[in-house]
Amino acid sequence: MQIRKMLALAALAVFGLTNSAGAADAVKIANVIELSGGGATVGTNWRDAVELAAKQINEKGGILGRQIEVTHYDTQSNPGISKAQVTKALDGEPYVILGPIYSSSTKVNMVEAQRAGVPQIVGSEAAEITKKGNPTLFRTSFGQDASMPKIANYIRDGVKAKSVAVIWVNNAFGKGGRDTVVKELEARGIKVAVDISTEVQQVDFAAEVAQAKNSGADLLFPYLHEEESARLLRELKKQGFDKPIVGETTITNAKVIQLAGDAANGVRAHVGLSPDAPSPLIKKMVQDFEAAYGRKPDHNGLKGYIAVHMVKAVTEKMGKFDQQNFAKTLHGMTITTKDEPGVLMDVTFDDKGDPDRESFLVEVVDGKEKITTVLPPLGR
Amino acid sequence: MTRWLLPAAVLAVLIALPHGLKSYGIYLLSLWAVYAMAAMGLNLTLGYAGQVSLAQAAFLGIGAYVSALLTVNGVSFWLALPLAGLVCFAVGILLGFPALRVQHHYLAFVTLGFNALVFLVLRNEEWLTGGTYGVEGIPRPSLLGLPTQSPIGFYYLSLGFLVVLSFALYALLRSPWGRAFAALRENPTRAESLGVDIRAYTLLAFAIGSGVGGLAGAFYAPLVEFIDPTPFDLGTSLALLLMVVVGGSGYFAGPFLGAALVMLLPEWLRFSESLYLLLYALLVMVLMATCPSGLLGLWAQARERLSRRRPPPPVLETRT
Repeated sequence: MQIRKMLALAALAVFGLTNSAGAADAVKIANVIELSGGGATVGTNWRDAVELAAKQINEKGGILGRQIEVTHYDTQSNPGISKAQVTKALDGEPYVILGPIYSSSTKVNMVEAQRAGVPQIVGSEAAEITKKGNPTLFRTSFGQDASMPKIANYIRDGVKAKSVAVIWVNNAFGKGGRDTVVKELEARGIKVAVDISTEVQQVDFAAEVAQAKNSGADLLFPYLHEEESARLLRELKKQGFDKPIVGETTITNAKVIQLAGDAANGVRAHVGLSPDAPSPLIKKMVQDFEAAYGRKPDHNGLKGYIAVHMVKAVTEKMGKFDQQNFAKTLHGMTITTKDEPGVLMDVTFDDKGDPDRESFLVEVVDGKEKITTVLPPLGR
Repeated sequence: MTRWLLPAAVLAVLIALPHGLKSYGIYLLSLWAVYAMAAMGLNLTLGYAGQVSLAQAAFLGIGAYVSALLTVNGVSFWLALPLAGLVCFAVGILLGFPALRVQHHYLAFVTLGFNALVFLVLRNEEWLTGGTYGVEGIPRPSLLGLPTQSPIGFYYLSLGFLVVLSFALYALLRSPWGRAFAALRENPTRAESLGVDIRAYTLLAFAIGSGVGGLAGAFYAPLVEFIDPTPFDLGTSLALLLMVVVGGSGYFAGPFLGAALVMLLPEWLRFSESLYLLLYALLVMVLMATCPSGLLGLWAQARERLSRRRPPPPVLETRT
């Protein structure tokens, strides 16, 4: 009798344990991202890298023993739909929301996540996003406030240009970048020779290139999305533009280089994250990505990969899944690659949710992004 | 009396529906109510007066900005709402006066140009509209002391206004004005010979349709709580046109059905993951190829076939 009772208890305990481990369950991560529309290129990279990171973490036992379950929500690169999708994601009570990348979408939907108290890790770079005092928002890459001063320094000290032609895309991302870079350039006594606004998904850049050429500027600073960047570079080559082209991140993106072909050679840029960075961890991540998807990730892939590992690092530091304290823990936190190799580079988050880490100056040589200089963290 | 049964039943369903839904579902329903208002305005222009307008998103935008800028600066929503409608009505007259000298696809081009113009003004006049940074922190109104911060509260507010607007437009369409609008669409020459001032009535239909677009915009702003120029581009005008045509242009209930289909179909199709937009486009193409008069047109055809009667000749009457 005694033995039977004990057996029954043991069976119950085992059943109960496995049951709770099975249903307790995966950690829900909602990924609200651009999978169609103008941002499909960047969003797909991000999504695939998020999937890859989740798979790798799950294979090693998950976060604190719990598996990660990622659900993707397509924003169609449309701010209104992104708001609806974040609302939908929140209905599923996720632990963290990842994405979106397009700044105009983030601006619309970040309020929802904030209201629900769910941490959100975005790939957006518009300066204003982290200036709104949202306590639960973080980004994986530099905001324009961090990257543009580095560019402006390089334009002054590296290229020694006196006047710059700025071509930008007129949306939250482009306007934010344009306003920040113009401010930084003027503060360094560099003249903006011509200031040209373009449209999202613009196809023809003939007039803009002619305008930039005629302005007599020493240098061209383009700030557009990926596909438009490639079209601009092709037009610049066609019209024989012979001044240096120095941009920020997107202009030397792998997709841009692929689409622009020869026209991308010689283009220089400051990049926060690069799949070509001289780091064994990044090389390993790029290899794994290529093995899984048959193509090289761009910097958006790196951003997505880092985002998932940020969730892991913070949760492990807290020792439990504590949504309330997630943001509080991540503010001011330094994540080293020694503790969490998945963050790819040592990174520190400030109290506004902005990251600080090393960055790179790159140049496209023979259709490949080549790192020329490694810049130290700002250490703000 | 029986003809009110179906609308009453639909309304009862619409009132009960949000209780089974989470905030995402309620948000979609509120968005549906707002787009249905805008599509009703376009239905007046297109379905009743027969004018193809590609500027409805511009009016939605003007209404949204008027309402947003006023309420952000402390003006009551209940004052901003009629103002949004009036401003759009006035702009509709100003645009319609020269534009309605041309018709059909020429008018479509003129209104397309107007939509692009409004988009550029919203984006470039940063001092007024905030440019690409948009207007944020748009407050939600309260009604008789009841706040509408909660998704469900705002949904009932939008639904309530949609009902009021529907009654108003229904009354308009059954008035001599409404008869005159239908006469314009069916046979302008005959209408003119009967003493209907074609130009004045077309202009009136266009301006009222624009004003209704503005009222819809006044609800759009507090629903999303943030506006920038993107949702008011040509794509939205085309989507609104699609709502009217898919639902059944010239049928009173067309915009409700069309807005529901255009808004909800992509959501239902999301199970197909990366294929959902493709499927959506395909379904719309099949629908338009098989029933160019829209879903309600299909329904009317089916009823006629069932009663085995020859379709009656076009009559100068409001189709309900």
